[in-house]
Amino acid sequence: MAEIVLAYCASHAPMMSSARMAAPEEQRTNFFGALDHIREEAVERGVQACVVLSNEHYTNFFLENFPQLCIGLGEKNWGPTEEWLPIDKVWVPGHAGLANHIARHTLDAGFDPAFSHQLELDHGIMTVYYELDHSMKIPLVPIVQNCAVPPLVPVRRAYEFGKALGDAIRSYPGLQRVAVIGAGGLSHWIGNPRVGDIAEDFDRWFLERLERGELDQVLDIPDDELELAGNGAHEIRSWLAVAGAVDPVRPRTLAYEPVYPWITGMAVAEWDTQPDRQQTSATVEAQDSRREESLT
Amino acid sequence: MSWYQMHRAVYDWVRAGEVNSGDGGDGRAGFDIGAYELSDEERKAFDNQDIAAFYNLGLHEVLLNRYARAAGFARDDYRKLLEPFGQQEERRARWQR
Repeated sequence: MAEIVLAYCASHAPMMSSARMAAPEEQRTNFFGALDHIREEAVERGVQACVVLSNEHYTNFFLENFPQLCIGLGEKNWGPTEEWLPIDKVWVPGHAGLANHIARHTLDAGFDPAFSHQLELDHGIMTVYYELDHSMKIPLVPIVQNCAVPPLVPVRRAYEFGKALGDAIRSYPGLQRVAVIGAGGLSHWIGNPRVGDIAEDFDRWFLERLERGELDQVLDIPDDELELAGNGAHEIRSWLAVAGAVDPVRPRTLAYEPVYPWITGMAVAEWDTQPDRQQTSATVEAQDSRREESLT
Repeated sequence: MSWYQMHRAVYDWVRAGEVNSGDGGDGRAGFDIGAYELSDEERKAFDNQDIAAFYNLGLHEVLLNRYARAAGFARDDYRKLLEPFGQQEERRARWQR
């Protein structure tokens, strides 16, 4: 059966690709340093496929038919769609076996995900996927979530879906080593007068709740309150799905940077699903150091 | 006002220019806005690429963001256009208590 050998979440502001150098050097170094660390771990752990959850930004779906969840079942998907995003436009390999297994398992578990045999992947998935694998060869199962167009599924429901997702991955016999990734958040505003603001207090509160495993306060947030951290904050649904997938493991924040030129609270957090894995003391020290810097 | 048609027109225009799997992204040239049942205000907003007008007409903020980006507005630019319509938030969230 497959094991979740890597679980992490990262913010997906498109400017991390399109205006990378606009961020202050220290913030850039910390944020991308965490993603570099993740990429090295993916290689070390031999990740065979990844499942990436992210918001649907009116890329695949429109108002005629807007699923709350859609699993990409296809053998390949296309991205990134944005003409201005400086990542090569490619057919990204899917993993039909794993994707169909996830769809079947989550349906049996009481969820009703839509499915698609060809998704267009926008910055939401592609910025984070590219940082995982610059060659964009790791098979990717995309799961797009509605984190933008009301009515949205309750935050708690996203977490519960993550639990079913984790069970699905762990019961898949066709692979051994899978990564589960959430891409999006944290606080940001788009398309309204507050674009550019960042709710640092929310971001730090959310990361601390995750690290402490104190999720009830997060899972009970109604949408109109979550909106106080920006209309982009609804994307914490991707983070909470990952938290559910690897429950009861708690994450470590590898980086948190309120990057104002990217208009987003940019964070990377990792759930260590393999605590018994051999780690060098240098790796652990580096992680501890990054964590302390991020939360101060 | 034709809320759905306005959204449809903006969405189709944005998608027409993207480099999606079906075409090469040059579909905005010659885009036929006349095919949509828009009010005069909506048509004017489209013709003038009027971000503030779209905001006040109720265009979904995620779609407005996509439109602004595709139309060449930097976020700093469109924030300036929308700032006059901002409202002071009086509520406090649980992370602020």
